[in-house]
Amino acid sequence: MNLYELNNVTRTHGDRTVLNIDSLSIIPGKIYSLIGPNGAGKTSLLKLLSFLDVPTGGTINFMGRPVVFSDRNLYSFRRDVVLLDQNPIMFSGSVWSNIEFGLKVRKVSSAARKKRIEEVLELVGMERFAHYEAQGLSGGETKRVALARALVLEPKVLLCDEPTANVDNENQEIILEIIKKVNRVDDRSIIFSTHYLSQWQRLADHTLLLQNGALSDLVNENIFKVTVTGRSAGEMICQFSGQTYMSLPSHLLPDGVVRAKIHVDPFRVACLFDAENPGDGNILTGHIVELSQQSGNVRLLVDAGIKLGVYLVMAKYHHLRPGIGDRVRLHIPHEAVTFTYR
Amino acid sequence: MDLLFDSVSSAFILLLSFDRELLEIVLVSLNVSFAATIIASVIGIPSGFLIAHSTFAGKRIVLTMLNTLLALPTVVIGLLVYSFVSRRAILGPLDLLYTQKAIVIGQVILIIPVITTLTIAAISRLDQRYRMTALTLGANRVQMAVVIMKEAKYGICAAVIAAFGRVIAEVGISMMLGGNVKGFTRTMTTAMALEYDKGEFVLAVALGITLMTFALVINALFHFFQGRTHSESV
Repeated sequence: MNLYELNNVTRTHGDRTVLNIDSLSIIPGKIYSLIGPNGAGKTSLLKLLSFLDVPTGGTINFMGRPVVFSDRNLYSFRRDVVLLDQNPIMFSGSVWSNIEFGLKVRKVSSAARKKRIEEVLELVGMERFAHYEAQGLSGGETKRVALARALVLEPKVLLCDEPTANVDNENQEIILEIIKKVNRVDDRSIIFSTHYLSQWQRLADHTLLLQNGALSDLVNENIFKVTVTGRSAGEMICQFSGQTYMSLPSHLLPDGVVRAKIHVDPFRVACLFDAENPGDGNILTGHIVELSQQSGNVRLLVDAGIKLGVYLVMAKYHHLRPGIGDRVRLHIPHEAVTFTYR
Repeated sequence: MDLLFDSVSSAFILLLSFDRELLEIVLVSLNVSFAATIIASVIGIPSGFLIAHSTFAGKRIVLTMLNTLLALPTVVIGLLVYSFVSRRAILGPLDLLYTQKAIVIGQVILIIPVITTLTIAAISRLDQRYRMTALTLGANRVQMAVVIMKEAKYGICAAVIAAFGRVIAEVGISMMLGGNVKGFTRTMTTAMALEYDKGEFVLAVALGITLMTFALVINALFHFFQGRTHSESV
């Protein structure tokens, strides 16, 4: 039985459609990552999946049960699902009382509460903060306590909105390990949203790509194998298969890593049709080999030694009218590039 | 100048000697003001919460009405309540006129808009994530409301204190509905007005000092809670 079944689900705010999902099935016990550019509808989808928002149209089934969007019904569904906010907020009071909140509303006995809170504090490594004022914690600590506050409820599904946003590297690693553990050990389903293909991507069993509110099947677009052929003065040269090179800041990959996978965010690549000089980043030149329409954008596939997918907004496409075979320069800013490596 | 100096010095002597008449007046004032504030809070805080948290047609009109009622003159309320509680009026048989109860009724009408609008402001200012977090952690609507109230507690306290400040210093309602009956409905403000009419300033000044002391304490409390509200919304 699928965890979630969504059919023709839409969500609109006034005239604007923020979500439009034809069909989506989510299998229990897996980790899903939800990627897409800003405003793609990631948070809106997570709010629907956590039953904190109501779709404008369509149906959602949760664990085989159709979701009726009434107050009382949603309340019972919410007991199985917890959403970890992008910037979690702590209630006033101690860390302990924050974690205790969800158990108290579930009328868990005080002895059981104590045991579970102690366990979860240990899991997130925040034991010594138990009696600290929760609103005085740092960003990373707040996120860990929020994670503990969610996990203590032993939900069937943990939804995380940008779990590593505004968190330092050390806390990112900790959160990553905890999420991996609760999935592997407790078999909990996890769905998290993230901006880019990052180290988080390694974690996911499935990846969902959202573009303009719709699911896209272009998840694996723009992922290439690269070899680092040289490093000097903060720069490194990455060779793609064939004779395509990019010069990138060397801090993107640790010293000693030679082979890696690179992802180029298709939404951050700019097409230059004239001689403008865009500044930092790499410029590749190639020919358009494919044109197609994708949820309100025009997708160009450009052969520049590697085949790169890039997007133009419809207005710009109408202005420039590029055609198959046209020569185009692609500007790839450093921010468009992320690495994965083992 | 001599008049002022003499009055102030005599007033201090009166205050320090714990004059019985003065204490009686202060007690009546505190009595009606506390009663009015408690009743208005019981009505105003939940109303403010409901208005802040629901979306309904005409919400803007309700908010505009409430804001307009903030400027309601006390004499208008006095007249209104009088028309209900005077001997020949609909509530005449209850014998409410010139009692502390009548003052309380008038004062409750005066400060319900104050408490309601300030509660709405305190709750609207609160971060939406509190509500979402409570819901996702499994709270029902009542439990969520408790969380919101708890997080907005300083703002709500400030609303109650502001309302108390308004009633303890008002004179119109107390005079028109209480009648300034010595020992029963004579409040600090009505007593001051009477003493002024008589040209005897000592008791008036002593009461003025007491009232200003209350005002100072109330304002200090109000600013303390307001300060907490701002730091909580950061």
